[in-house]
Amino acid sequence: MKAKIKLINVSLKGVHNYRLKDISLKIYNGERVALVGKSGAGKTSLISTANGIISPDNGEVIIEDFAIKSLSTKQKVKIGTLWQDHRLVEELNVNQNINSGALARHGSLWAIKNLISELDVEECLRLMRVVELSEELIFSRVSELSGGQRQRVAIARLLRQRPEIIFADEPFSNLDPKLVELGLRILLNRDNSLDEIITAKTVLISLHRPELISLFDRVIAINKGEIVMDEKVKDIKEKDLESIYIE
Amino acid sequence: MDIQNQIKKLTCYSLVILIVGSSPKTIAQQRLSIGAIPDQSPERLNRLFNLLSKEIENELKVPVKYIPVTNYTAAVSAFRTGSIDLIWFGGLTGVQARNQRPGAKVIAQRDIDSKFRSVFIANKSSELKQIRTMEDLNLLKGKRFTFGSQNSTSGRLMPQYFLKQAGVKINEFAGRSPGFSGSHDTTIALVQSGSYEVGALNEQVWKINKKEKRIPISKIKVIWRTPTYHDYHWLAQPNLDERFGNGFTDKLKIFFIGMKANKSESQRKVLDLFGAKRFVRASEKDYSKIEQIGRELGKIK
Amino acid sequence: MRKLHITSPIIAIIPSIAILGVIAKLISTFHAGGSSLILDFAYSAITPSVDPLVIKAAINGLKLTLFTTSISWGLSSIIGLFLGILSSRIVSRATFGEEIISRVIRCLLCIPRSVHELIWGLLIIQLVGLSIWVSIIALVIPYSAINARVISDQIDNFDTKPLLAIRNSGATPLSALLTALLFKLIPTMVSYFGYRLECTFRGAVILGIFGMGGIGTELELTLKSLEFNEMWTSLWFLAALMFLIEALINKSSQELTVKELRYLAIFILPILLLIPILFSNENLVNFGTIGWHPIPFPSSQELKTAFYELPILNLISRTLILTVLSAGIAIGIPPLIMFLWPGKNGKRVQTIVWFFLRLIPPPLTALLIQLTTFPSIAVGALALGCHNVGILGRLLKESIKNDDSSNKYSILATGADARTVWLYGIFSKQSNRYLAYSAYRTDVLLRETSIVGLIGGTGLGWQIIESLSSFDWNQLIILVCIYSTLTIAGELISDKLRDHWLNDRTQWEFSLG
Repeated sequence: MKAKIKLINVSLKGVHNYRLKDISLKIYNGERVALVGKSGAGKTSLISTANGIISPDNGEVIIEDFAIKSLSTKQKVKIGTLWQDHRLVEELNVNQNINSGALARHGSLWAIKNLISELDVEECLRLMRVVELSEELIFSRVSELSGGQRQRVAIARLLRQRPEIIFADEPFSNLDPKLVELGLRILLNRDNSLDEIITAKTVLISLHRPELISLFDRVIAINKGEIVMDEKVKDIKEKDLESIYIE
Repeated sequence: MDIQNQIKKLTCYSLVILIVGSSPKTIAQQRLSIGAIPDQSPERLNRLFNLLSKEIENELKVPVKYIPVTNYTAAVSAFRTGSIDLIWFGGLTGVQARNQRPGAKVIAQRDIDSKFRSVFIANKSSELKQIRTMEDLNLLKGKRFTFGSQNSTSGRLMPQYFLKQAGVKINEFAGRSPGFSGSHDTTIALVQSGSYEVGALNEQVWKINKKEKRIPISKIKVIWRTPTYHDYHWLAQPNLDERFGNGFTDKLKIFFIGMKANKSESQRKVLDLFGAKRFVRASEKDYSKIEQIGRELGKIK
Repeated sequence: MRKLHITSPIIAIIPSIAILGVIAKLISTFHAGGSSLILDFAYSAITPSVDPLVIKAAINGLKLTLFTTSISWGLSSIIGLFLGILSSRIVSRATFGEEIISRVIRCLLCIPRSVHELIWGLLIIQLVGLSIWVSIIALVIPYSAINARVISDQIDNFDTKPLLAIRNSGATPLSALLTALLFKLIPTMVSYFGYRLECTFRGAVILGIFGMGGIGTELELTLKSLEFNEMWTSLWFLAALMFLIEALINKSSQELTVKELRYLAIFILPILLLIPILFSNENLVNFGTIGWHPIPFPSSQELKTAFYELPILNLISRTLILTVLSAGIAIGIPPLIMFLWPGKNGKRVQTIVWFFLRLIPPPLTALLIQLTTFPSIAVGALALGCHNVGILGRLLKESIKNDDSSNKYSILATGADARTVWLYGIFSKQSNRYLAYSAYRTDVLLRETSIVGLIGGTGLGWQIIESLSSFDWNQLIILVCIYSTLTIAGELISDKLRDHWLNDRTQWEFSLG
């Protein structure tokens, strides 16, 4: 089977030590992987290197046989990322922010239209229903929304992008349990009820809390920039998990 | 969307405005632009040169426009860059302009210009006595002294030359430097007010002011008349014949020299405002002494 | 052992010591000769000339100045915005993946910025001849570079995470930049370009004083012929317009709603753009014919000779002294006065005084002071300093007004007197930002010394004008190069100081002028 995401001997230097140390891993098409580890273990570094935001000092990231560096701007539309800090454009409204996920599929003129008019409202409303965000908020400025609402907008933007791979960096810390449940249901699409909306089958999500891993296929744990465990979920024993977090 | 339309409209309007508003008005016909160094009040120059413009238009049948210039340097630059065709220059500015525009033609000077003088005026409270000989200029050391404009022949160059001959350095005045009032009229006003105790200026301006009593002079006395020298003259661009027809430069010369007070009311007025009875021939040679002094004092390179 | 610890509020007030030196010098050179003229000037303020001809001249002058202002402002804003975006590190990185292009443009923009608009004007008039375009080009060149720098600094201070996120989702650089940055930039642009309108207006007035037409020329001519009544006619007209512009800018620097922004775009902008056509028909504007008349380029030998002829060190040191003295006055006096007289009445009087100090351009103040003293460096320093007291005073007042006053009440509750409250409760919060801005202002003053140098007969600015009046191109080239190098060095130092006083530069950069 061909790997969808492949990291080969990836290293990333920090100020004093390695943030990632010689990491190699393969994630296959349709795999839903949880990345766990303490804060500072290197989860964010790994996600940011895998999605191409940061270039590693050593090694290579390959997405579907192509080095991520060599992907054209347009091809990056395949890779979607959900950020812990949402990374929405504060000055724009919900409609415009959701549409900003679709910029890769349109020209600059469309980008300008998005800024000065109401564009693809129906599509946005549909996504807002999926993320259970009140439809009245469609023309509200993002800066006026609460944290939970903003994360819903961020998920809607990600869905609008229709990526093949989803990376998410601790998307559910500080959120209420209902939203976490909703988020996981959407991103993992376990019951295939959202097939029309979510095209991505390959998912890498870093988690702050280990209790959510049961929904995933596979768990990778890192510590001090190194992979310390890589198992199928069904093979994992509670003890293994504890050791990662306690130590 | 209505915002979109508004923005579209707005962009169109602003573009039109920018294009219309910024395109320089091109002049269809050849026009003779005349000017003068601003040695007197702009209103007076305006009156004089608008009268003169009409007179040239009548006699030589070319459209004329007076372009006011606000400082001496700008007047020379305007001549160098061809912005003005015919300028009434002082001795020094004329030489500076000819040096930068080779081939420029000296057209005419006034009858008074071949024997021009400056006067030194003093505020009565300064208790300065009449200056009898050149050596007496040493009495001015330590006084508050002002020239006119930096590039004026009668208001700076020649007075500074005579002071130098008498052995007075310009850093020997009070405050270790002289003032530069900017114009002859201002020199009168500043000496009258007492801001400066002594000032040097164009004798003709002084005489006209005395006659017309525009600026009060109750507290001023004249302490010295300088020896004579050549001053003002008309200077024309070298290319006027090409632009206005063969012999145009000569026609200009003949026009100026032919102006007479008894010929018409307007010519009388023009000559009167120039403070002259008539214009006479002039040549570059008349100003070689000025050029030499200009070089000596560093005003001509 | 106790260590002397000077805090920033005190550092801000200390420079006002400069005024002692300046005043001592002025008193020692004072003579009563021109005092009647000064009284005459003051009295004329309430008896301006109402002669229709004088009023017409003033209005025409004002129209011409507005004409120059609106075109120069429009052009320098557009060019500045464009260059600012090009020289932004973030944009460069997002577009080309590297910062090198933005760095190169940034460095190049140092040069047009380093020369004062007046010097540009004097140089350009030599190159293109008499035309209204001279003052426009003279304003557009340095102002575009200043605008570019502020815009790029603004952009580079934005949070780039949303931009990176959008870029990473496959959007083209243009789409991503538009989506992530444009709406962040607009409010900044409105208030900053509003402020630049005021600066451009002041610049156009100054160019007028040096003979490039408009209300400045009217002021200079009426002052030179000592017609104070006529001068005040022009001054009152200038004051009315300045008041209007400042009120408009105060409005635009507040947070504007989308609706207000739209009003601004629909009404104010077209009016500003309409001014050029409205006024250009009135036979008022000398478009002239622009040509290209290069000055002879000197050989290296000639330049060498010119270099040794000039008293370079003396010129530089005089320029620096002038800068330091005027900066001392400009920085120290506003907080000192506000500290000494903090009450309501004090504030009212200060507001009026600051306004008049801003109103009268420094070269004219210098000419007035010089009526009763000898020309000296102190005259120039006082004139330049006073004008900038007006600018800094207003800025400090506005920034205190916009600040919440919780600190003030806690100090008030301790039973302290009004002055202590002002110093500890109000000014102490502002002092770092005030000092940071002062560092920037000092850099501006270094360039501005050229406009009073002529009067004091001193410094690089004066020598440039003197060399120009002798048409000594060699000296001119040397002098402009030296001046430019000096101000670039000044800008670097002021940047360092600013970073020292202010970790977050963004807020005050709006008011860079």
